[in-house]
Amino acid sequence: MNLWGWIFMLASWGFIIGLTIFCFYRVLVEPEQDL
Amino acid sequence: MAVAGSAVGLGNFLRFPVQATQNGGGAFMIPYFISFLILGIPLMWIEWAIGRYGGLFGHGSAPFIFNRLAKNRFLKYLGVIGVFGPVVIFIYYTYIESWLLGYAFFSISGKLLQFTTPASMKSFLLAYQGLAPQSNLLTAYLFFLITFGLNIWILYRGLKGGIEWLCNWALPVLFVFGIIVAVRVLTLGTPNPSQPDWNILNGLGFMWNPDFSVLTNSKVWLAAAGQIFFTLSVGIGAILTYASYLNRGDDVVLSGTTAAATNEFAEVILGGSIVIPAAFAFLGAAGATQAAASGAFNLGFVTMPLIFGKVPLGEFFALLWFVLLFLAGITSSVSLAEPAIALVRDELKLSRSKSVTIFAVATFILCQPAIFFLGNGVVDELDFWGGTFCLVLFALIETILFIWVFGMDKAWEEIHHGAELTIPRFYRFIMKYITPVFLIFILGFWFIQQAVPTLMMKGISPQNAPYILATRIGLVVFFIAIALLVRFAYYRMQPFMPSLDNTKNRGEDA
Repeated sequence: MNLWGWIFMLASWGFIIGLTIFCFYRVLVEPEQDL
Repeated sequence: MAVAGSAVGLGNFLRFPVQATQNGGGAFMIPYFISFLILGIPLMWIEWAIGRYGGLFGHGSAPFIFNRLAKNRFLKYLGVIGVFGPVVIFIYYTYIESWLLGYAFFSISGKLLQFTTPASMKSFLLAYQGLAPQSNLLTAYLFFLITFGLNIWILYRGLKGGIEWLCNWALPVLFVFGIIVAVRVLTLGTPNPSQPDWNILNGLGFMWNPDFSVLTNSKVWLAAAGQIFFTLSVGIGAILTYASYLNRGDDVVLSGTTAAATNEFAEVILGGSIVIPAAFAFLGAAGATQAAASGAFNLGFVTMPLIFGKVPLGEFFALLWFVLLFLAGITSSVSLAEPAIALVRDELKLSRSKSVTIFAVATFILCQPAIFFLGNGVVDELDFWGGTFCLVLFALIETILFIWVFGMDKAWEEIHHGAELTIPRFYRFIMKYITPVFLIFILGFWFIQQAVPTLMMKGISPQNAPYILATRIGLVVFFIAIALLVRFAYYRMQPFMPSLDNTKNRGEDA
């Protein structure tokens, strides 16, 4: 894998992991939603 | 969790890596993430907000929700697409889902990994599907009955005791299994010492090394937009129904974004680390290219079992692979059933068990052509109309209806009601202009590229033509039947339609 491959893979993973952690953090600190 | 379960499906693990590999590797992620931000996320918010708004009036299906967005008696017929599409997908999706259960069983029984060549593995798949000479459908039908029964049982148990219960344990299990399989693949090293270049690092490079020249190709941008569209399950109608069970004060911005993020985790991180790197490590660049070109199903049902047959504890990893795909499938298929069940339950005022029984009988009958005429192209035909065309059309209709007819200001306020996060204001412009134009562009492109040749039956053999024609007539009849049901429910129940003020939370008895 070349340098650009690493950059694209890590940037994509970073964006998604960051977004997922942010969302779940906000969900957990908000009052529970009851369906 | 239920919407995340609906979104995480087979496409995350099979379709995405193929699309990325064939469309520029890492460079594909540029149009992919742009599409995620300007198409996927806005459509998520729009569907969640429309669904919650409809739920306030006691409606959980698109025809009657659309009818509440604006005063026009034809709108409810446009909403029929949001019930018709998911039922059509359910018809063939449940059957494909049952293959995964069957393959999970064959993985632990050891039968699957006996086949060591692509030809023998492909022959086994064809025999299982009843498409090989002197084969029968008995085993496949048995697994279909189990899968169909499981789906109906979950639906009978209701939204909270069935679907939410399923997604609460199935999604974490799916992710754990996905991580285990991904770690196994990423630690394969160089499985064939005689081919030192066939290693997992080069496999990741095959998937991620960017080819920037593709960025000037409009087909790559459309492929990325299409992948985002299908992976998030927007435009189906299922999110609309799930969101109708929310309370007025629930946060649709955060819920929609969380469901989208969970789906992306499964797709890019897990889906991107399994099939293509594994195929490269065992088959090399040419073999991986050939495997990707052979299609997502071939990768899942032929290439992956062959690879598992070459690693220690292959039966165990094959079992994890097919169980995780089955869980991804079943959490999606139950969501496909919900719009039709909500239509019968909410608008004909039937109990949930009666609504599910009607749905089960109708879809069981409708599933039969997909099973027995698979080799005649019936499933491909259902997938084109239900799983492709209806999705884009429905997303376009709901976007125009919510943003342009309901009104941008009201829509913006509706989306933000109860939201702790504030959407950046430039999304008003994106939702109003970019998202619908993008959808029109996709629809137009597909219409020229696929719909015209499909309508003209190009590439269909003369012996399959009657089956395709019969499928189309059946789909038209089915669409009209749903439209008549909507009309009947509308005029019969109109005097009893609840107003915004006297509605309780629909989720209480779901």
